[in-house]
Formats: sequence, structure tokens, C-alpha cells
Amino acid sequence: MWEPIPDCRCIRGVRTREESRQGARGGSPEGSGDGSRAGSRRESGEGGVVEDEAAVIARVRAGEAEAYAELVRAHTGVALRAAVACGAGADAEDVVQQAFFKAYRSLGRFKEGASFRPWLLSIVANETRNTLRSAGRQRAVAGREAELLAGEPLIPEGADPAVAAEELERRRQLLAALDALGEEHRLVVVHRYLLELDEGETAAALGWPRGTVKSRLSRALKKLGARLPEEGGEEHG
Amino acid sequence: MGDREGGLPKELRELGRRLPVPDVDGGTMAERVLAQLLAERVPPPAPPPRRLAWLRDRWKRLLAAFSGLLVVLVLTPPVRAGVVEWLGFGGVDVRYEPGARPAPGAPVPGCPAGGPGLSVAEAGRRAGFTPVLPRALGAPDAVTVTGAGPRAVVGLCWRAGEGSVVRLDVFPGSLDLGFAKSVRSPPQGVALPDGTEAYWFARPHLLTFPLTDPAGGSWTASTRTAGPTLLWTGNGGALTLRLEGVADRAEAIRIAGSVP
Repeated sequence: MWEPIPDCRCIRGVRTREESRQGARGGSPEGSGDGSRAGSRRESGEGGVVEDEAAVIARVRAGEAEAYAELVRAHTGVALRAAVACGAGADAEDVVQQAFFKAYRSLGRFKEGASFRPWLLSIVANETRNTLRSAGRQRAVAGREAELLAGEPLIPEGADPAVAAEELERRRQLLAALDALGEEHRLVVVHRYLLELDEGETAAALGWPRGTVKSRLSRALKKLGARLPEEGGEEHG
Repeated sequence: MGDREGGLPKELRELGRRLPVPDVDGGTMAERVLAQLLAERVPPPAPPPRRLAWLRDRWKRLLAAFSGLLVVLVLTPPVRAGVVEWLGFGGVDVRYEPGARPAPGAPVPGCPAGGPGLSVAEAGRRAGFTPVLPRALGAPDAVTVTGAGPRAVVGLCWRAGEGSVVRLDVFPGSLDLGFAKSVRSPPQGVALPDGTEAYWFARPHLLTFPLTDPAGGSWTASTRTAGPTLLWTGNGGALTLRLEGVADRAEAIRIAGSVP
């Protein structure tokens, strides 16, 4: 009945059962100065808000399956982003649906008081890995990059095409630098910044101690910085 | 450089927001997920699993025993991974552990050779409490004391013929951790003739038990497979008793009921 979710290649070291101690508290996102969000109101970072997440989870556990819709609605956006960041590509929708399904089935073992999002994202990461593997579709790095760059066009109509081209080039560089990072460094950057988790949530999603998140993050940023040319096209010395 | 690092997080967040995410909104996803749950008739994820409901009312004792539990976790690392739930009953911790692999047909450890060695009264003096004897079994063939102080265990042993052995371990029912059982199916709650609550472990399970050095100081845990066992408390909860080697539940209850 207990189905362990194996580690994910994309998100190596993910643990789904053990929310780390820190994860439950939410923590204050560095720089934003907002340390008071561990209360009953939970923002998903995608505009979705769940009023009193713990109460919703309790209702689901009490047999009210419809209450689960609230959680799904609030976390769909970030879950899709996580699947895409892990390389799910066109499978992202299915991966996320499956992840929500599995999360529901495992909700009985979800640690009370913990935050739902990092837990869900670790399931998404595993599900992405499983999907890619079962389909034998590990995307080539170059192909993935092209997919990722196909995102929302950032040029408002009528914008200077030269600027647009520059921005696209900058994103390409960023993605390439990210891909060149070691697994652990890439993971921490993806969770903390691309998925916009706070430090505690990143620790929970990756199953690492908070101190490890901090140190890996700072090292990863240094490496990224060193790999990127200076903004404006000048080579970084 | 400081400047560059300051800008990177912002750039990375932007990058994340621009990832090409499929155009599915939360409402649609919720409908899909609920439809799938309905189609596959997934039961509500009620915690804890109903068949472990017997664990719940032991929760307080369990919390009190927490530090002790940690010790055993460290001492028996292979047990760790599969531990899902447990309860403390008397001086025994029972863990629900689907992955536990008790050895099939493991015998009850034999009585120590060389006669009784200790009298029951002497064993009681050394252990610091008065052990109890089930009348139904008569005088034991061997009596041992392991551990000391709150971890003292009096072992009573009867040779039941054809090499089979009946053992009764008696120890203070304190929260001090002594024994741990790892089970794959929950024990059955039964009542002794006087109404005392007891647990019947019908299937073989892993038993972790303490081994102390001769001075009774530092201790380590050892694990073996135990057969069908009846577990109950005596003297108003002051003692914990475990009877092993009687395969028939009714017979085990009868023996337990003969303890004064």
C-alpha cells in the first residue's frame, strides 16, 4: 500500500515522505522580507491561494474528495512549470495530472502542518523522470533548450527587434549555463528561482538540510555568474 | 561581481516565468484529477490507515518513549527504512513494518543449560521487582535476569517436551525501552479473563531485545525472529509480560489468565 517514489534523475535526492523539519515552517524568502506567510494563508506563487491549506487537507482526508480541487487549482501552475523545468516537454500536462493523482493517494501520509507545494513538486519531478524513462524519451540537451526557449514571447508588439534578439540570446546563455552546472547546483537553482520556492520549501522539496540549500545556492550562483558573459555582450573577465 | 550576483536571481525568476508551460488552468486540471479519482474509485486518503487504528490511543506513551526509540533506530538501521508506524505497549514497542522478514520456523530460544540457576525470588532481588508466575505452567525450568535497573528483564523458561520451549519475559512496564517488535500485520487485541487488555501476535515477527554488558551499563540491541506471542501488562501496568512458545491463542490466554 505504501508506494515509495524513487529518486528522480532530474531531481536527485528527492524524498517524498520526509518533509524536512524546516519545510513545515515555510521560512522567509530571502530578499522579499516576507517572513510571515507560514500562517493559514498560503500563496502558491502562481497567483493561486489556498485559504488554510491544513484545513483543506483535513477535509480531503475526511473523505471530501471535492476539496482536493482547491489544492489542484492553486498548485497547477507551479506544477506545470516544474514538469517543464525537469524536461517533461509535451508530456507536462499528463505528468502533472498523474502527480496530483498520486499525491491524493499518498495524502494520508502527508505530514500534518507541512507545506503541500514542495511535497507535490517532488512528486512531479519523480513523475517526470518516470514518464521520460518509460517512453524512452530523454531529450537531447539542445532539443530541450529549444523547447524551453519557445516560451512566451517577451517582445511586446512593436518592440525593438534588436532588443528582443538580445534578450533571447541572454535566455539561451542562461539556460546553457544552467545545463552546464552539476546536478545538485542545477536543482537548487531551479527550485529556488525558476520555481520560486523559498529556502525552506526548497529544502523540503529536495530533502536537504536548509544549510545545504544555502551553501549550494551561493556556490551555484557564483558558477553561473562566472559562466555568463557580462550583460550587454561584454565578455566577463 | 556583487552586482552580477544580485541580478542573477531576478533573471532566473524571469526565466522560470517564461518557461513554455502548457495552457491548462487549475480548474481544468482539478476536473481531470477528480474525474480520474472517481473513475479509479480511489478511497479517501484517511490517516492513519484504518487497520492501524489501534496505534492511535498509544500515541501519548509513544511520545514519552521517543528518546528511547531513537536509540533503537540507531542501533538497528536496517529496520529504519520500512518503519511506518508503531505503538508502545507496556515496555514493548511494536512497529508496523511491511518489509520485515522474519525467518520461517525459527524456534524459541532454548532454556539455559545447567538447571534453574536462579530461584525466582533471587531473580526478583537482582531485577528489583517481583516477577509473577503463571500457575498454569508450574515451576520454571530456568530463570535468568538480563539487564539491570529499569531495563532488567526476568526470563522464565519451561521445556515443554519434544524440544519445544515456552518463555515468559517479565519486565517493568516503564517507558524505558527494552523490547521492540516489527510486525507485518497488526496484532490482535484480546482480553484476558480478568478483562486486562492484551495483544496476540499470531504470525512470526522480528523481536528486538536489549543486551547489556555484565555490569548492566551500556547496552546494545539484538534482533531475532519470534513466533506467536501474547503480550500483556500485569500489576496494574507496572509489569510487562510476553509469552512466547504457545502457538494456540486460547491456550496462551489461559496461561496469562493464571498469573495471580
